[in-house]
Order: sequence, then C-alpha cells, then structure tokens
Amino acid sequence: MIYSIKLALKSLWFEKWIHMLTVVTIGVGLFVLGLIFFSLYNIEGITSRLPERFSVTVFLSAGTGNREINQLRVRLREDPIVKRIKYISKEAALVELRTSLKDAAYILEGLDENPLLPSIEIRLKENGFDKKKVEGLINRLKSLRDVDDVVYGENLLGTIYTIRNAVKTISAGVILLFSMAIIFVCYSTVKILFYRRKEEIEIFKLLGATKGFIRLPFLIEGGTLGFLGGLLGGAGTYVLYRFINGTVISDFPILGVMHMPLGLVAALPAGGAILGIIGSTIALGRLKF
Amino acid sequence: MIGFKDVTRIYDNMTALRKVNFGIGKGEFVYITGPSGAGKSTLLKLIYLAEKPDEGTISIAGWETDTLRESAIPYLRRNIGVVFQDFKLLVNRTVYDNIALALRIRGFGETEIKGRVQDALKLVGLRHKNDNFPAALSGGEQQRITIARAIVGEPTVLLADEPTGNLDVDNAAGIMKIFKEINAKGTTILIATHNRELFRNTGLRVLWFDNGNLVADKEG
Ligand SMILES: Nc1ncnc2c1ncn2[C@@H]1O[C@H](COP(=O)(O)OP(=O)(O)OP(=O)(O)O)[C@@H](O)[C@H]1O
Ligand SMILES: [Mg+2]
Repeated sequence: MIYSIKLALKSLWFEKWIHMLTVVTIGVGLFVLGLIFFSLYNIEGITSRLPERFSVTVFLSAGTGNREINQLRVRLREDPIVKRIKYISKEAALVELRTSLKDAAYILEGLDENPLLPSIEIRLKENGFDKKKVEGLINRLKSLRDVDDVVYGENLLGTIYTIRNAVKTISAGVILLFSMAIIFVCYSTVKILFYRRKEEIEIFKLLGATKGFIRLPFLIEGGTLGFLGGLLGGAGTYVLYRFINGTVISDFPILGVMHMPLGLVAALPAGGAILGIIGSTIALGRLKF
Repeated sequence: MIGFKDVTRIYDNMTALRKVNFGIGKGEFVYITGPSGAGKSTLLKLIYLAEKPDEGTISIAGWETDTLRESAIPYLRRNIGVVFQDFKLLVNRTVYDNIALALRIRGFGETEIKGRVQDALKLVGLRHKNDNFPAALSGGEQQRITIARAIVGEPTVLLADEPTGNLDVDNAAGIMKIFKEINAKGTTILIATHNRELFRNTGLRVLWFDNGNLVADKEG
C-alpha cells in the first residue's frame, strides 16, 4: 500500500506536465459542474420558497351555514398538501377592506348590507407542491355545493412547475455529460501512463505481482488527478461566488438571495476523485497474466 | 517438484516442444541443453507460466496447470525465481530498487527488505553497486543483479536462462559457484544453456533437447 502510494507519487511528479494539463481540464469541468450545482441549489431554494407565497382562496356561497363551514375547515386541515388555513368571515373581510382602503373608506358608507363573501385562505405545504395535486384539490373544491369560486395564482403555479422541471432535466443532462467528460479525461491520461509503463508492468507480473498491486498505483494516480482538479474547480467556484457577492451584487441586488453551500466546494474534490478512479478503472480494463 | 507430462507447445505452426515427459525432484540441480531453437527457453517459460502448454500437463510445487486459477498465478510465481535471458531489469530504478521490487511485490516491510537485499547483493558480490542504475553496470554485473533479484525472495525453484551468456570464463565460474551455494540450501535449480563446459564432468543431470524433442536425460 505504502509502496503503491510512493509509485503513484513518483509517477505524478515524473509526468507532471501531462498531469498539470489533465488537472486543469478536470478543474474546468468540475468548475462548470460546481456552477450547475450552485445554480441548481439556488433555483431550488428560490422555487421552494415560492409556494409560501402561493395561496388558494376559496369563496363560499353567501348563505353557507356555520356547520358546513366547519365541516369544510376540518376537511381541508386533513388534506395532505395543506399547510394551514385561515377562515375569513364576511365581517372580517369588510374590516380588512376598510383598512386597506384607508382614506377612501367612505365609498363603503352607502352600503346597508355587507356585499362580501366569507372565504377560506389556504397555504400549501412545500413538499406537497405538485401541479397535479394542487389542481386536483382545486377541482375538488370547485365541485362543492357551498363553494362559490376558487381563486389562485394559476400562472405562478405553472411557472414554478415548469422552471423546476426544466432546471432539473437540463442540469441532469449537463451533469451527466460533464461527468462523462471528466471520466474520459482521466481514462485517457491513465491509459497513456499505462502504455508507457507496459514493459515495467510485464516485469511486475513475472515477479509475482497481483493485479491489485499493479492497479493500485494507477487508481491512486487517477484519483489524485481528479482530487486536484476538484480543488481547482472548487477554488474557482468559490472565487467566482466571492466576486459576485462582493462586486456584482452592488449593481444587481437581486442576486443577494444567492447562497454558496460550503459543502459543494468540499464535494468537488471528492467527486473529482471518484470520477478519476472510475476513469482509471476503465482504462486499466481486464489485466491478463 | 516439477513434472512434465506429454507437454507440447506450438507457436503458430512451429512446434517448440513435442510430447515432453520428465520429472525433477526437490533440491535437484539440472541442466537443460541443446542447440539454438531447441526449445530451452520455451520450457522455462512454461514453468514460470509465461506460456501455456497446448497439450499435456505441468505440475509445479504441487500445482497443476490444468486446474490452476488465473488468480493463483502471482502466488505460484513467487515460488519461482527467474534469471531471464534478457535480464528484464528496470532501467529507471537503482540496483537496490530492482532487487527490492521482488520483495515489495510480496508485501515485505522496508526494514526487512533492506536486510534481505543487502544479503542478496553480498552473495553476488555487488554490495557497492546499491545506488547504481543498470545502464551503469557491465553485462556480467547486470546478470548478477538479476540473480540477486531472483533469489532474494527465497524461492523453492530457481530457473536461469543462459546465465553465463555474457560472461568470461572466470565470471561464469563465479556465477556457477553462487548457484551451487543456493542449491546447497535446498533450492531446486534448472539452468538452460548451450555452453557444455558448464556441466562437463560435473556428474549433474542434463536434459538434452533437439528441435523440440527431449532426446537424452543423463549425467553430464
Ligand atoms: N513467441 C514466439 N513466437 C513464435 N515462435 C517462437 C516464439 N518463441 C519461440 N519461438 C520458436 O520456438 C522455437 C524454440 O524457441 P526457444 O526460445 O525455446 O529456443 P532456445 O532453445 O531457447 O534457443 P536459444 O538457445 O537460441 O535461446 C524456436 O524455433 C523459436 O523460433
Ligand atoms: Mg533461449
């Protein structure tokens, strides 16, 4: 084991130029991956906070009795995607309207009867935020006898849904593509190293080396290349984030909501090492005695 | 220790060995001789499993080529020290590292390796060449390094392919003396050579090959 590490380090040093190139290539690849994860993380963050602002208002028919209202409230509370509900009686609605009108409240003066409808405001759970489920709930509500109308942000619902799905699909594709590219870079580097040391490996075999003994230095090498690439990519991602946070943010305050998960920076070297080992394993293939 | 039963090895359409039968006991000192192309190197390669027989069975130290699993090959090879005809030294490593490699492959610790490598170098009389690279050594010295690497792991069988090929008479005698010392400790030794001077009047066993056939098995 120690000897394998020594062999790997020696080879890493001996072939430092080709390795530098590999590390930079992997670094760039992982940098892009880092950016994708970074964007994904933030888009997830933003869209997962959107459902809080999304509400469904159920207007009840004018003559609905207290018993029916209470029944409906119980039913809604038990619904798996409902977070909380708020009942607004028609009196409360009028008070609210008055306050929001402020100085213009006099336009309500002439009314001798409250024209407003009682309503129930529904807030949804974040994890239950699924277009089909939400629409299912709304359709069920609309079909009820006591329900006059259901008002909700149809566009918002659709937009959140589309953004989330598109982002997930595209990211998955790009992540897969870049992971494969990184594996390929490690694969070809290790393949070259392997062929350069072919003669040496033949001698190793004749002296009684196991396949593991022959493979290990190459796996360590590939893993180290991936790891170093990951450090580079992680550093790049972090620097870019600091730059955005420091300079760009003063011009575009919107970006202030962005966060950089430190776990991501740490995960890049680990991810790089894993991709490197995968690439090396494929490069070595099946050894024969 | 080593048994050949109806062993045939054919390269493309060239028969290098034809229905060869013989047995070698533990601790024996045996020469293999014959003209160039007789099949001497092929025979040794079959023993250290660099080649597979096309027909017949070879048994080595209790293993049989018929039933040998590929994963067992490295462990079997560790019982066999080989002095290759072309040395097979690693050019980018020092004498010390070349010999130590045989032990590192076996998983020895560095302290143990140091002692053993020094002992092996002492036996071949090249202790002062520790830090030299193979290219800085004469042919005879390289040959002795190869011997040191072959014996450092204390194999039960030592195979040598033309071990005196590059040597003058004095050096050749020196190397034969080393082999005798190793043999005296119980190691089975097989030496392939076309130099009949090596075994003339030694009384040792000689297997004579010609054109892939074992033609004689007698004392030298
Ligand atoms: N890899 C190979 N491919 C094809 N033919 C081979 C191969 N190795 C050996 N041969 C042939 O097999 C025959 C036996 O070769 P081998 O090397 O065993 O002879 P040898 O007795 O060791 O000869 P020398 O004294 O010249 O070393 C020769 O005719 C050789 O040409
Ligand atoms: Mg030969």
